[in-house]
Formats: sequence, structure tokens, C-alpha cells
Amino acid sequence: MRRQVPLILCFAFGIVMALTEFSPHPFSQGLNKEVIDWALVIGPFALVLAIATLVQTHWVRIRRRSEYWQYSFLVFIGMIIMVLIGIPFGQQHPAFEWLFEYVQVPMDATMFSLLAFFIASAAYRAFRARTLEATLLLAAALIVMIGNAPVGDLIWNTVMPLGDNFPSAARQWILDNPNLSARRGIILGISLGVISQSIRIILGIERSYLGGVEGD
Amino acid sequence: MIEKLMNIDRRIVFILVALAVIIPSLLNVSFPITVSQPTRSTYEYIEAMPPGSTLMIGFNYGPSSFAELHPMAKAVIHHCFSKKIRVIGMTLLAEGATLGDKMLKGVAEETGAVYGEDYVYLGFRPGATQVLLGMGTAIDSVYEADYAKTPLAEIPMMADITNYEQIDLVLDLASGSSTEWWVIYTNTRYNQQIAAGVTGVIVSQMYPYLQTKQLIGLMPGLLGAAEYEKLIGKPAKGTEGMSIQSFAHLLVVALVILGNIAFFIQRRQSE
Repeated sequence: MRRQVPLILCFAFGIVMALTEFSPHPFSQGLNKEVIDWALVIGPFALVLAIATLVQTHWVRIRRRSEYWQYSFLVFIGMIIMVLIGIPFGQQHPAFEWLFEYVQVPMDATMFSLLAFFIASAAYRAFRARTLEATLLLAAALIVMIGNAPVGDLIWNTVMPLGDNFPSAARQWILDNPNLSARRGIILGISLGVISQSIRIILGIERSYLGGVEGD
Repeated sequence: MIEKLMNIDRRIVFILVALAVIIPSLLNVSFPITVSQPTRSTYEYIEAMPPGSTLMIGFNYGPSSFAELHPMAKAVIHHCFSKKIRVIGMTLLAEGATLGDKMLKGVAEETGAVYGEDYVYLGFRPGATQVLLGMGTAIDSVYEADYAKTPLAEIPMMADITNYEQIDLVLDLASGSSTEWWVIYTNTRYNQQIAAGVTGVIVSQMYPYLQTKQLIGLMPGLLGAAEYEKLIGKPAKGTEGMSIQSFAHLLVVALVILGNIAFFIQRRQSE
């Protein structure tokens, strides 16, 4: 029963929702809207699940004294402070806004900014023209990087007599042609994979989402 | 010598990157900006919208992408307010809620735009796909009230805005997959016109949608912000950032070339 009910629900909703996409009939569209409203109600429960998982994970880390378990306390402190201010007073309360602007924004921005340092170091060490493919990748990357900075056009226009703004034009060509073609191929591949996987789930062939072994 | 060059201490690279960022920001250097066609298309579309049109902006980014996307948001909102285009702000990311609110309030203060008449901020609702689909039927079925908890029915600007039919353009400012969600769920299903401003790392993913006109325009990272600032004639953070980006990119290119020269010399010696 624990397996049959989810499988039946998945099959029924999968087939019905797919059909409503192809029918403009008011009943079909009304049904579609109704299910979207249900989903809007169910959606926030995902947040509850996420919070429960976060608490569980960090509680276990503290209990088992895993490596760097002390940092898990910071997770709880941060979460409790934001919840205690955010829920009763709202997100527009000065204390909530202050914590966001002067704690979360600088920390988040700092973590992301560190990437620039590691990327520069990694590019120097690993970006080598070892093979033809690597050389093509390297050349494309250098052109896009130079084309993405205004100084590229300035240097080119000053030094080279031919073709104004060649770096930015070359970058645009790479994005418009080889990049677009490759990306379209990837999108088509992913889409076909998603369609086949959806059919497998709707028909009950793929059951791993139920939490057991496939085919169980 | 070559061996030393190949195994240069990474802390030296870190110092060079820090200098490439700090020096241009102190010197206040500026470079001429070439506007790319995808950014120009976004600008021209908004420029052609008559006063009283409505633009919906999705602040779908968090503080980590703040530096790239906030200048873009500011430039576009300035442009909209100067043309009397009404702006509806919203976000599909919890972290974007405060950023969007402060941005709209900030630009409104500078331009004298009035809340509830020139702009409205809806804030965040969980369940991205359902939010996008739900707004196609009725915005107030998803957002019964705005960010400040005022019911939408009490906001004058929302009186004639029910769903996507009254929204002339959606601009998605994204650091993740949200642009693809807008394309799939609102352009395909509701024929909604969409433009995007995205971080530099995901720009390349957007080109197929640009070619099929599922995106009417695209602003690429901080460069996109600088380009838009140039188009509206208001140089700001995006333009300032271009000097830093220029030096940082030049440094990385120089490091890659240097690394490869050392690599080839070493390979020749070993042969």
C-alpha cells in the first residue's frame, strides 16, 4: 500500500497534467489552475523539510563531535537569531535588515570574491595547450576574456590597424556561433533525457524516488 | 629558472590579483565601452515601451552576485522611472527579497518615484515553478499582499494588472537557472516577453534562447551593467568596475600565456 498509492498518484497526476497542457477547454484549464494552487500550498513544506534536514545534520555533527563540529553551533545561532527577529517583526525590521546588510551580504560576497584568486592561480597552473582540443579551448577562453574587458578593444584599436573593436566582436562571434551550437546540443540532450525519465517515472518503471531500490 | 616559474608560489599570484583589483580602483581609470547587440536590444525594447507600460523585474540573485547584478538593476530601474514605465519587483530566491526591496527604494528616492503608483515590490514566495505558473492566471493568487503586507487590492498601480497579459516585459536578473524557468513556464506557455541580465559565468548558457527570440535581450555580467549605463548616459558602479575587470582579465591572460611559455620551454628541454 505504501508503494501503490504514490505510484497511482504519480501516474494519475502525470498523465492528467500532461494532457491539460494540450487542451484549451475551460475544464482542463481550470483543473490545471487548481493543481498549481495545490502546488503553491505544498511548496512551502519543502522549506520545512529543508530546515528539518539542516537541524538534523548539524545536531548529529555536534553529538558525534565530528571534525569542525563547533561551527555547527554558529549555524544554529545564525538561524535562531534571524528567525527570532524575522518571524515576529518581519523582514523590513531594521534589525533584520542590518543583519542582512552588514553580516550576510559581506560574508557571502567575500566567499564569492575569493574565487577570483583561486581561478587566477588555477589558470596559471592548469590551463596548458597540451592537445589540439586544449589549445582551442585556451584560445577561445583568452579571446572571450579579453573581449569581456573594455581594455581589450582599447589595446587592439591602438596597436592594430585593422578592424575596430575586434576583441569584443570576436567574443560575440564565439558566443553567437560555436557556443550557441554546443549549448543547443546540450539542451536537446538534456531535454530528451528529462522526457524519457519523466515517462519512466509516470509509468512506474523508475521508482527510486520512493526511497527504495529500483524495481523493488 | 623555468622550473621556478612553473612552480611559482600561489601566494604571489594572489598578491598580483589583489594589486590588479586595488590599483585601478584607487587610480579611477576608465576605458571606452563597446555596447554589445544583446544589451542594446534590451535597451531598445524598454526605450520603445510607452509611458504607463509595466516591467516586472525578478531579483533572482543573492549577495554573492550582488556586485554584478545590482548595478544592472539600478540602471534599468532608472531607465524605467525616467520613462514613466511602471515597475513590479519580485524574487524567486529568499536571499533576493531584501536586496530587491532596498534597490527599488533607493532608486525611487533618487528619482522621486512613488510607491504604489510607479512601482510595487512583491517580495518572495517559495516554489519557483508554481509562482511563475500561478502569476499567469492571477498575480494575487500567488501574492495576496506586497512585501510590506499591503493587500494588492489596496495598491492603485495593481488595479489594472491581473496577470502577464498586462505586463509588457519581464527582466530576470539571475545568478542561477531562473531565466530558464521564465523561458519555459512564461514565454512558452503565456507568450510573455522576457529579457535577462545574468552573471558572467552563465551568459553562454543563454544564447540559444536569444537566437530563438525567447529572450529579447541579454545583459552579460558587470560588462552588461556598464553597457546599459552607457546607453542611458548614467555611468555608475558598472562603469567603475570595468577598469578593475580590465586589469584582472589582463593579469589572468598574462599568467596563462606565461604559464604556457614556461610549459613549452620545459617540454622542449626534456625532449
